[in-house]
Amino acid sequence: MTNKLHGIIFAYRSNPQLRELTQQRNTCSIPYGSRYRIVDFMLSNFVNAGITDVGLIVHANYQSLLDHVGSGKDWDLSRKHGGLRILPPFGYSDKSRNGEYLGRMDALAGVYSYLEHIRQDYVILAGGDVAVNLDVKDVFETHIRTGADITAVCTPVPRGDPRDSVYFTVDDDNVITDIYAHPVNPVGCESMEVYVMSKSLLMSLVEHSIAHNVSSFSEGVLVNVGKRLKLMSYCFTGYAARLQSVAGYYARSMELLDPAIRSDLFNPMRPVKTKDRSDPSTYYGPMSKSVNSLVADGCVIEGEVENSILFRGVHVEKGAKVQNCILMQSTVVRQGAVLKYTITDKNVHVNAGRMLMGHETYPLAIAKNATV
Amino acid sequence: MMKKECVAMLLAGGQGSRLKALTAKVAKPAVPFGGKYRIIDFPLSNCVNSGIDTVGVLTQYQPLELNGYIGNGQPWDLDRSDGGVHILPPYVTEGEKGTWYKGTANAIYQNMGFIQLYDPEYVVILSGDHIYKMDYALMLEHHKKMDAACTISVMEVPMEEASRFGIMNVDENDMVYEFEEKPKKPKSNLASMGIYIFTWQKLRDYLIADEADEKSSNDFGKNIIPNMLKNGERMAAYRFSGYWKDVGTIDSLWDANMDMLSVHSGIGLSDPEWPIYARTPTKPPHFTGPNADIRHSLVTGGCEVDGEVENSVLFHSVKVEKGAKVHYSIVMPGAVVKEGAQVEYTIVAENAVIGAGARVGAAPSEMEDAGDWGIAVVAEGIKVGDHAVVPAKAMVTRNVKGGAAK
Repeated sequence: MTNKLHGIIFAYRSNPQLRELTQQRNTCSIPYGSRYRIVDFMLSNFVNAGITDVGLIVHANYQSLLDHVGSGKDWDLSRKHGGLRILPPFGYSDKSRNGEYLGRMDALAGVYSYLEHIRQDYVILAGGDVAVNLDVKDVFETHIRTGADITAVCTPVPRGDPRDSVYFTVDDDNVITDIYAHPVNPVGCESMEVYVMSKSLLMSLVEHSIAHNVSSFSEGVLVNVGKRLKLMSYCFTGYAARLQSVAGYYARSMELLDPAIRSDLFNPMRPVKTKDRSDPSTYYGPMSKSVNSLVADGCVIEGEVENSILFRGVHVEKGAKVQNCILMQSTVVRQGAVLKYTITDKNVHVNAGRMLMGHETYPLAIAKNATV
Repeated sequence: MMKKECVAMLLAGGQGSRLKALTAKVAKPAVPFGGKYRIIDFPLSNCVNSGIDTVGVLTQYQPLELNGYIGNGQPWDLDRSDGGVHILPPYVTEGEKGTWYKGTANAIYQNMGFIQLYDPEYVVILSGDHIYKMDYALMLEHHKKMDAACTISVMEVPMEEASRFGIMNVDENDMVYEFEEKPKKPKSNLASMGIYIFTWQKLRDYLIADEADEKSSNDFGKNIIPNMLKNGERMAAYRFSGYWKDVGTIDSLWDANMDMLSVHSGIGLSDPEWPIYARTPTKPPHFTGPNADIRHSLVTGGCEVDGEVENSVLFHSVKVEKGAKVHYSIVMPGAVVKEGAQVEYTIVAENAVIGAGARVGAAPSEMEDAGDWGIAVVAEGIKVGDHAVVPAKAMVTRNVKGGAAK
C-alpha cells in the first residue's frame, strides 16, 4: 500500500535565528543528535514506511545537504526507478524572491513539472527540519481509512514558537474545526507540518495557488479550503524537535540525554539512517571521564566530558574539560581547555588552555572551521 | 567481461575450529573484531585500497552470515557493474562432478572458470584470518620487478618463535630457495604470512597438475609452493614489516583485539589514507550514563554504558549496567552485562547476557596455579544466571544457572 505514497521534503528553509549554525548550510542539514543531520529523520520516516520515491526541494545554501544525502544510497534511495530526487529551483528564477521560496506553495510551484510526473496516487509533504520518529505508514493508513481529503499530523504538546507555527482545533472525531496560522498564543494542537493528500488534490491546489499568487500552504491554502474539504488530524504524541533558534537547538539537543526521549526518537523498529562514514570506534584514554553524554564513533576522549553531545571524530585532549556542550564533527579541544555551554560547529579548534563559557539560555556558538 | 590485470581470491571457507564456540555458527572470517569490524574486513579493505576491484570470496563452512555480511559489497565500494565482490561456494557441474573444497588449492582449482572470466595476468591469494593493513599493489610491483612466478609475503619473527611458522629460506636477492613448514631448527626467521601473488598462467598449470595428483592434499603450503620450488620456478619473498596477526585462536583473537586499544600497535584504524570499511548497522550514538567509568577502551554505536569499563573492546549495542565491571574483555554486539556483574579476561559473544552479580573469568593474578588461567568465552546468545560464577578459561556453550547471592 505504501508504494502508493510519494514523499516530498521541503528543505529550502534557512532560519536566521540559528545564527552561526546556518551560516554555511540550510536548516535541514544542521547536525543534530551526535551523528545525524536533521533531514535524516524525515528521510528515514519515509523510507521506513516503504516509500521509494522522494523529492527533496532545495533553494539556496544546499551544498552541505547535497554532500550529505549524495545519491541517497544510505537510505536505500539510490534506485533505477524512482529513488531520491534533489529538486533545485530549476527554470524558476524570479529576482523578487531574494534567494528563498516564499512558502510551500511557492516551492511546489517551482517544481511543478516534477509533480506532474509523480507516479504514486498520494503525496506526503513534510519539512526536513524536524527531528521526529513518525510512523508514516500509520499516518497514511489512517488517511485512507478516514477518507480525508487532507490529513494533517499534529501534536498536543506545543513545542514551537507560536509566531512560527500553525495550530488546529479538533473535534472528537479528529476533524479539524479551525486553523490558526501564526497566532500570538498557541491554540489547540500544533501542526507538525506533515500533510497527506492525493496527488490530484495537490496538483489542483498548486495550480490554484499559481493562478492566485498564493505562496503559503497554511495561510493561503489550508485556511481557505478548510470549509470545503475534509481535513482530518492525526495526533502524534511522541517526541519531536523543531530547531528554530540557537537556544532552541541547544535545548532540543540536551533533551536527548533523557533515555525516554532517546528510546522514542531512536526506536529500533524504525531506525534513523544517516550517511555512513566508516569511522572506527571511539577510544577512551586511560585518564578519561565521560558521564551522562552521547558520543558518536571516531572520537578520541582523553579528558573529561559531562552532560554533552559529541559528534563524529571529536578529540578531547588530556586535562580538557567539556561540560554541557555540543561539539560537532571533528572539533578538537586541546589540553587543559575548558568549555561550558558551548556549541562548536564542524572542525573547530579550541587551543590549549582556552576557556569558553556560554549560558544555558544563551549558549556560545562557534562557527565552522574557527580556531579559538 | 573486461580484462583485469589482477584478481584477488579470498579463502573464507575455513571453520576456524580453534576458535571453538565463537565459530559454532559462523565462519571464521565473519567473527567480529576490533569494535566495528569482522575479520574479513581487513583483507577486503586492503584489496579496495590497493586498487583491486575484483574479489572472489570462497565460502564453504557456515556461509549464511558471511554471505549476508558481504552482500553486494557496497560498504567496500565493491558493488561494481564490472568486477566487484563475488561469493564462490562449491558447486556441481554436468554429470554431478564437483565436490566440497578439498583444500586451499582445490578451492581455487574449482573456480578457475571465475578467474578466467577476467583473463587476469596475476592472481592474489588471501586468507580470511589475518589482521593487517597491506598495499597489495606494492607487492605486485615487487612480483613484476623480480619477474617471479610466485611472490610470498613474509615477515621477520623472533628466531625462537620461528618454529611455529612456515619459514622461507632466501638468497641474497630475497628469492626463496627452500620452504620449511614449522621447522624444528629454523634457518631463517622469515615467516610466510599466507599472502601469495601468482602469475596466473603459471598457477593454472600447477593447479591442473596438482588436481591430477591423487596423493596431493591440494593445499598451497603443502603442495603448490613445494612443487613450484622443486621445478625451479622463480619464487620471490616480499618483506612486510607492519602489524600482522593471525587470529586463529581464542588467545590470539583476544590479544589482537587488545592491540586495537594501543596507539603503538602499528595498526591505526583511523588512518584516512587506509580506511578499514565494514558493514555496520545504523545505530544511535553511544551513551555514557551518570555512573559510567570508561578507561582505555573502545566503545561504539548503540552502546549504553553505566558501569566500569577498562581495557576492553565493546561492539555495537552492548549494555553495561550500573555497578557492573568489564575488564580486559571483548563484548560482542548486543551482549548485556547486568547490574553488579563482573567480567574479566573474557570474550562475550553476540547477544549473550551476563546476569546481575555474576562473575565471569578472572585476572591471571588471582590464580593459584598460573597454568589454570586462560581467557573465558561465553558463546552466542548464552545466558549466565544472576550471581553465577564462571571460572577463567571456561568455554560456556550452555546457559548457566544462577548462583546464590552473597
